Amino acid sequence: MRIVDRLGQNLTIALDTLRAGKIRSALTILGVVIGVATVMAMAAIVQGIREQIVHTIEIAGPTTFYVIRYFSSTPVNPNRLPRDAKNRPDLIPEEAQRIASLPEIGYSAIWAQVFGRVEYQGIRTQQMTFMAADDRYTEIQGGELLEGRWFTRAELKSGTPVAVIDHDVARKLFGQANPLDKTVRLGGRPARVIGIYAPPENIFAPQGQQVGAIIPFLFADHAFVIDKINALFIAVKPRPGVTVAEAQDAVTVAMREIRALRPGQRNTFDMITQDQILDTFNKLTGVFFLVMIVLSGVALMVGGIGVMAIMMVSVTSRTREIGVRKALGATNADILLQFLVEASTLTGVGGIIGIIVGLGSGKLVTLAMSIQASPPLGLTLVAVGVSVGIGIAFGLLPAMRAARLDPIEALRYE
Amino acid sequence: MRNTDEYPISTTEEREAVVATAGAAPEEDWVIVTRGLKREYDMGGEVVRALRGVDLAIRRNEYVAIMGPSGSGKSTLMNLIGCLDTPNDGEYWLNGQLVSAMSDDQLARVRNKEIGFVFQTFNLLPRATALHNVELPLVYAGVPGEERRRRAEEALERVQLGARMLHKPNELSGGQRQRVAIARALVNRPSILLADEPTGNLDSTTSEEIMKVFEELADQGQTVIMVTHEPDIAAHARRVIVLRDGVIASDDKRSAFTQKVGL
Repeated sequence: MRIVDRLGQNLTIALDTLRAGKIRSALTILGVVIGVATVMAMAAIVQGIREQIVHTIEIAGPTTFYVIRYFSSTPVNPNRLPRDAKNRPDLIPEEAQRIASLPEIGYSAIWAQVFGRVEYQGIRTQQMTFMAADDRYTEIQGGELLEGRWFTRAELKSGTPVAVIDHDVARKLFGQANPLDKTVRLGGRPARVIGIYAPPENIFAPQGQQVGAIIPFLFADHAFVIDKINALFIAVKPRPGVTVAEAQDAVTVAMREIRALRPGQRNTFDMITQDQILDTFNKLTGVFFLVMIVLSGVALMVGGIGVMAIMMVSVTSRTREIGVRKALGATNADILLQFLVEASTLTGVGGIIGIIVGLGSGKLVTLAMSIQASPPLGLTLVAVGVSVGIGIAFGLLPAMRAARLDPIEALRYE
Repeated sequence: MRNTDEYPISTTEEREAVVATAGAAPEEDWVIVTRGLKREYDMGGEVVRALRGVDLAIRRNEYVAIMGPSGSGKSTLMNLIGCLDTPNDGEYWLNGQLVSAMSDDQLARVRNKEIGFVFQTFNLLPRATALHNVELPLVYAGVPGEERRRRAEEALERVQLGARMLHKPNELSGGQRQRVAIARALVNRPSILLADEPTGNLDSTTSEEIMKVFEELADQGQTVIMVTHEPDIAAHARRVIVLRDGVIASDDKRSAFTQKVGL
């Protein structure tokens, strides 16, 4: 009770002192504000993106995995591949068919991404991704067909230039008119619209990677240049009841057979699971976070030193007050507590402002990226704790100086 | 055993009280007893002997002025009586407690409970209201909020400042500020009110006003000890102790003092 009351008293004194020197206080805590704001903004953005990815994975089903020629966490320049990867053969549709025939596998098909704008009668969209896949694309990636139909077997086999376009793209190009059976240009190549689909909600799609249309794989293979290193892969979904590891084993065996690899020879392909995608993202953001934490650590240090300097000044200018308080019965511990509360209030307020600024700017960025920012609640508490801690750590020296003042000297101080 | 004649203090009773207090608490009637109080300072290698053995006995309800020229040791004695400092040698008993042997924290507690300070420059917290200033000793005494407020209001009413409780010091006159300080000194019901040149920053009219407050408090039974260098202020007290060169030079009842200085 007594401690709570005492803390309350000190908090009142501290807030009073802050109010008295608004500009001084603001400048003092600027470092803390910047430090906390940076971390909070970054955390909000990264957390937002991460949730989108997790969400996307949930839609695709956590068991779907991909066979790819060479796995790297960043897009690779085809001319800069490691020697081993350079000699690997390209993936071919027959390999996907073979995998699809395995008893462990529910679905397998070769997919590719190609890029371009969608154009109709002079109206063009921005640069988009076209998924070269098959009629079961939405089973794996989510979303649904709103109008029209999927590709026929014949269209898939011959690579007919047909397309199922995104409903937003359809609205942009056609307005209220019916897009079905109209011929649009996908990256300059004509294609007949046979269906309109809606992608799953919230799917993580940065600008330029939004899927504008789904086309038969062979159409893309004939009409576009596919980046066979980064944008060509086989999507594999295990049969229900089969684990990802079992399915990956079966796929590995099948692929090695097709490619006639001898025992001891290394695989000439890679596989990516959803876990790995998440892992990769976590690793990337981990580094990112580390850098941000170091940078904001520097800002917090600067802020802390500012607080220390201002508290030193405060102790000196209030020497007399300290003397009076001691004469009235304040113990050294009382004075220490008073100045620690003052310093940590200063930085605590800085931390709270930093959180608000950080989350606010994080929100703006994520709005611009059209994803949802999630305020990381745990981190908010940590940020408040860290800011208060900075105040205590850097306020300790000035507070100890105040506590140790000799009351007689302090009372005599002019 | 020292000869009681060595103690230059007024009456036999006080002499006996000091002698009797060797290492044992004085009788309850004596709120302050000092015995052979010594304080030396080291001023850059040179030892200054500010107090060279002060023997003093003050009863409850006494109204005492301590006088002396600068350098006589009166400030040092005041700091010791006020428990802001500890002696190098000798005993100091305050309200039955041997203060001269206490730690810093114990001294803080004694200052809080037993002593009410009134300073020359008022020493109010400039940004706190009169009420909050008066509450301060109670905060350090750990008195809960509501009682604190009630007692602070009472103390302010006692010095006729009931109407100005929520004013800040810069909204008050010098005399009012000093009365706030007196209220603050009284709020914890201390054993002694210790005033250091309480009229030093006030004009003569206001000084008289403050002296009247002290007189009333003394009449109500409050022990008052006042340090001053002004004889006419000291003449308000009922006993005047004069220090010279770190020892008590004289210790007189008021009548004797006023005769001596020709007031």
